[in-house]
Amino acid sequence: MAIRRYHYARDVDEALSLLLAYEGRGALLAGGVDLARGPGTDVEGLIDITAAGLGGISRDAKKGLVIGATVTLEEIRTSREARDYLGGFLTEVMRHVATLPLRCMATLGGAVVSAHPWADIPTALIALGAEVAWRNEEREERAPLEELYRRPFRAIFRRAVLTEVRLPAWGGAFAFEKVSRNAGDIALLNCACGLGVKDGKVAWARVAVGATPYRAARLTGVEELLVGESPSAELLAEAGRKAAAEAKVGDDLRASAEWRRAVIPALVRRALERAAREVKGDA
Amino acid sequence: MKVYFELNGEQKYVEIKPGERLLDLLRRLGMKSVKEGCRTGECGSCTVLLDGRPVRSCLTFAAKAKGHRITTLEGLGSPEDLHPLQEAFLETGAIQCGFCTPGMILVAYHLLSHNPDPTPEEVREAISGNLCRCTGYAKIVDAVLLAAERKRKGDWR
Amino acid sequence: MKVVGKSVRKVDGIPLATGQPVFTLDVDLPGAAVGKVLRSPYAHAEIVRIDTKKAEELPGVLCILHHGNVPRTPYTTAGQGWPEPSPYDTFLFDKKVRFVGDRVAAVAAISEEIADEALRLIEVEYRELPAVLDPEEATAPGAPVIHDEEDARGIHDPQRNIAAAIDIRVGDIERGFSESDVVVETTCEFPYVQHVPLEPHCVVAYLDEEDRLVIRSATQVPFHVRRIVARALGLPLSRIRVVKPRIGGGFGTKQEIILEDVAAALALRVRRPVVMKYTRAEEFTSARTRHPMKVRVKLGAKKDGRIHAIEMDVLSNTGAYGTHSLTVLSNVGSKTLPLYNKAPHLWFHGKAVYTNLPVAGAYRGYGATQGYFALEVAIDELAEKLGMDPLELRLKNHIRAGESSPIFEKIGEGREGKAQVVKSCALAECIREGAKRIGWYEKRGKHLWDGPWVHGVGMAVAMQGSGITDIDMAAATVVMNEDGTFRLLVGATDLGTGSDTILAQIAAETLGVPVEAISVYSSDTDFTPFDTGAYASSTTYVSGGAVLRAAREVKRRILEVGAAILGDPPEDLDLAESYVVSKKTGKRVPLSEVGHRAMYVTDQKHIIATASFVAPESPPPFAAFFAEVAVDTETGIVRVVRFVGVADCGTPINPALAEGQLEGAIVQGIGHTLYEEMLISSRGGVRNPSLFDYRIPTAADVPEIEAVLIPTDEPTGPYGAKSIGEIGINGPAPAIANAIYDAVGVRLYRIPFTPERVLRALRTRS
Ligand SMILES: Cc1cc2nc3c(=O)[nH]c(=O)nc-3n(C[C@H](O)[C@H](O)[C@H](O)COP(=O)(O)OP(=O)(O)OC[C@H]3O[C@@H](n4cnc5c(N)ncnc54)[C@H](O)[C@@H]3O)c2cc1C
Ligand code: FES
Ligand code: FES
Repeated sequence: MAIRRYHYARDVDEALSLLLAYEGRGALLAGGVDLARGPGTDVEGLIDITAAGLGGISRDAKKGLVIGATVTLEEIRTSREARDYLGGFLTEVMRHVATLPLRCMATLGGAVVSAHPWADIPTALIALGAEVAWRNEEREERAPLEELYRRPFRAIFRRAVLTEVRLPAWGGAFAFEKVSRNAGDIALLNCACGLGVKDGKVAWARVAVGATPYRAARLTGVEELLVGESPSAELLAEAGRKAAAEAKVGDDLRASAEWRRAVIPALVRRALERAAREVKGDA
Repeated sequence: MKVYFELNGEQKYVEIKPGERLLDLLRRLGMKSVKEGCRTGECGSCTVLLDGRPVRSCLTFAAKAKGHRITTLEGLGSPEDLHPLQEAFLETGAIQCGFCTPGMILVAYHLLSHNPDPTPEEVREAISGNLCRCTGYAKIVDAVLLAAERKRKGDWR
Repeated sequence: MKVVGKSVRKVDGIPLATGQPVFTLDVDLPGAAVGKVLRSPYAHAEIVRIDTKKAEELPGVLCILHHGNVPRTPYTTAGQGWPEPSPYDTFLFDKKVRFVGDRVAAVAAISEEIADEALRLIEVEYRELPAVLDPEEATAPGAPVIHDEEDARGIHDPQRNIAAAIDIRVGDIERGFSESDVVVETTCEFPYVQHVPLEPHCVVAYLDEEDRLVIRSATQVPFHVRRIVARALGLPLSRIRVVKPRIGGGFGTKQEIILEDVAAALALRVRRPVVMKYTRAEEFTSARTRHPMKVRVKLGAKKDGRIHAIEMDVLSNTGAYGTHSLTVLSNVGSKTLPLYNKAPHLWFHGKAVYTNLPVAGAYRGYGATQGYFALEVAIDELAEKLGMDPLELRLKNHIRAGESSPIFEKIGEGREGKAQVVKSCALAECIREGAKRIGWYEKRGKHLWDGPWVHGVGMAVAMQGSGITDIDMAAATVVMNEDGTFRLLVGATDLGTGSDTILAQIAAETLGVPVEAISVYSSDTDFTPFDTGAYASSTTYVSGGAVLRAAREVKRRILEVGAAILGDPPEDLDLAESYVVSKKTGKRVPLSEVGHRAMYVTDQKHIIATASFVAPESPPPFAAFFAEVAVDTETGIVRVVRFVGVADCGTPINPALAEGQLEGAIVQGIGHTLYEEMLISSRGGVRNPSLFDYRIPTAADVPEIEAVLIPTDEPTGPYGAKSIGEIGINGPAPAIANAIYDAVGVRLYRIPFTPERVLRALRTRS
């Protein structure tokens, strides 16, 4: 490792201009949890953005949530805003992420950009329909996270600073499920599901499955299956089965594709059941 | 580069390397309670408090200490003046080899500063990022609960 | 008793609780160099050429060692007694590498970065050789020969890659089975698992003012380190001093000399202190593991449940070197078969084979753990076939006080054993107590459902030993200070287990003083008497035996002086509360006065005594283990809901420390039962060499472990003590396997019981 310089960026502009000046040999440093584990050998300069004004969690006008890129996962977990949003769904997700001392360091922006396929945060954010904003040389851009992940996002963030994550308001409930070998372990499989119910019928549904071992993807076929139906036990079980058919699964050293396919139905069904239980009576 | 920070209540102004880890800096400064068990964030032996919050010093660049408050076990108590948590760890038999102890006591300190009356489950959850291979954790949980009880009775600083 | 049997605080507790610099690497030596090892990328290869020129030219590189510039002496890395039962099949550096992670060369440089850079600059040309990656294939005709070097010694059959073999018969096994009404046969498999002490291996080596080599090491066996380093480097033993400071856990992996030899060799060359430590990744690839094993157990029993014949057949994988290969193999049988001593027909046979895989060694439980997994699952199956409660089956067959087993005599430490009669045994009480606490009769066979989770309970029993009969020797010196306090010098090695405290308690009890009056100094080959070290559950029993004897001798001398002061005969005197007291008259004199008089006043002498103790036998501790599990039938996740371990360790000298040993061992066992496993790639490397991928239990994973001690009085032990360090790890795998069967009716024969394996088993059955 040949890190030669360490910069404390005071704002996004400074961070961005430093990043561009390094022409690929600099890296934005947030919590550093990933960077410190394996900085690229070509990284010469670290640009610390934790004091660049990207902190802060707030509710927007439409009751959505806006989270700055350098907010730590533990700040999210313990914030009132997160507790008030969707019955504390994010609080629950964060409790499943890594361990306390790592959550006190790791940032939401870092989680979005490093985008580990086994991670829980992308799964939750994709299910929630998160939108992310970033600044590059020319302008400020924004896009749904799901769409961003389909683009060469790693290349984008070599020349851009992620500034915030926006989570829309939802009339309904979400639930998160994770299977791991033990506490603090990464997922062998995770899923985040949301439901809205109107007049006894599913008005909208969001289903994302991750760590398959690929990065989370929404299962739109499952969502379509659910919408317009009454959220009965049979329907949710059926949705689980369909999820197993629709999700792309594979092997890694933690689990096989076979096991993942076998477990997805239960996992998705459980998340849907919990969401359905919470949503009851809600419009 | 040179940075200012507060270490266990003392002001420091030290030369660091830009890529240096807080773990190495602290040990270099004589804080040998900060242990290295993996260097990759998983074991917790290197845990210290940064502005009161537990972090992995092995994954924290030393430069991040600038302008902040770092607490290591040395800052909590000394052989002549034990912290109630240290007392409780000794009393319950929560220390076997003692390699995990500094990190454990610091996360326990953080827990009790937020939650004076934790349940055993909350204690287990709070210390679950810190591995101990010797004790099986039972006596560590007992120690934290005992210290919490004493803290509630006012026997604390 | 005043001190024994009390949970006094650890004598080394305060420095540990306050983070004082008491561990190996907590000293800063000026001018210290950093040592690093270059490791083999191949499972089996010959080093055709090694060129260190570029690396040597790098500024700051001080020295590079490899097979071309060091002495070639075969030795073993196993820190065991003498004669060494492990083969001499290891060299400081060799022309051949035998596993991914084997030593190729070592560098000393002025900084870690430069040392790492130097490793990259060493040019090595390898000729890859066909490798043995499956223990089943190691002995096949035509299999590559791993130890073809001519100078290795003590290998059972190098041409067939057999490091060690054993074949022990009692009675007539064929007849035994044919006379049995019920026969079951079970094969259980134990994968590669690791100790994972929180502190990785580390050492500092330097030359002192008198040019003697000082090795400050995180070791369990300082005296064996001294002997083995002397051998490997061709140095006189007297030139080496080994010091063990506080160490961050060992569990057996620090019973191996895998770093001290290189650090010493480097320090001698560069003539400055050399610091070396394993990275966590090196711990996984290049330290030691438990011996992976396949153990087949065949049991024959009479209709009424009397076990009549036991066969145990073992295939042990010792990896690339044969360290502990014979003794671990022996222990699979010697520590398990005596438990069911009523069976007249026994056959214990097996071999330990070489493979081009990570090297196995000593790990808490030491073969017994692998043996009990198979044996106790087989017992559960036998009970089912007999239609008996497995608890009753065990009660009916287990050894009792006053009984013996032919196995004690047949299998020893790499040689014949010694007959012994069990003098203390509370296993029956342990079983009943555990059953009560877990709710055996309320829960067994009930399959209680809780959503998708089904609950079940299972049990297992085990024994271990306390030291190695006629081999383990410990010595202790008790020195009286003039103020009536004492120094206790022991070679015994406290690796976090609390043995310094326990030995101080034994001395304090004998001398009638509080523990605070005893200062312990341990594990320094220059300043403490010999001790074989911390392994084989020996410290309390063997080292404790030495302390007891030394303290008694000091007591005798104190009473003599006391007699002169008080004018009473020594027989009438005793020690209590830091006084010499006359039992007859109640007259007393403080120890401080005795000390002063002896040192300065009349008939001057230093009151001091050294005593040695050799384990005359190895009294087994016993334990019963009960697990309640919940199995998620939809995902295959197994959760241990409760775990109860009840042990008879004789007199617990310090109950809190004894419980801590049991609790810690049980949690390690839960770890290997549920998730720990080193995964091996098709090229022989470790695929998960990190704590990110190799998971060990956290506080949030384990339920409340109930560790219960049922004291007995072992007549041969110090104040009735036996041992407790290892036994706890034998229980979890079989108890949990049996609990899973009780819950969901599937038998699992290979640990860890991952969701994947459990779910597959559930699906295959239905
Ligand atoms: C041991 C361990 C366990 C984990 N367990 C889990 C888990 O259970 N579940 C889970 O979801 N995740 C888990 N993670 C992943 C964790 O959430 C991420 O590693 C963490 O959030 C990264 O954040 P950071 O701030 O530390 O990133 P950094 O290391 O600072 O940065 C990561 C990357 O993102 C870039 N970057 C950071 N911020 C920005 C920005 N604002 N704009 C552009 N680029 C940026 C950096 O340049 C770098 O390339 C685990 C990680 C570890 C190490
Ligand atoms: S050394 Fe930092 S977590 Fe292990
Ligand atoms: S006491 Fe040894 S690791 Fe915790």
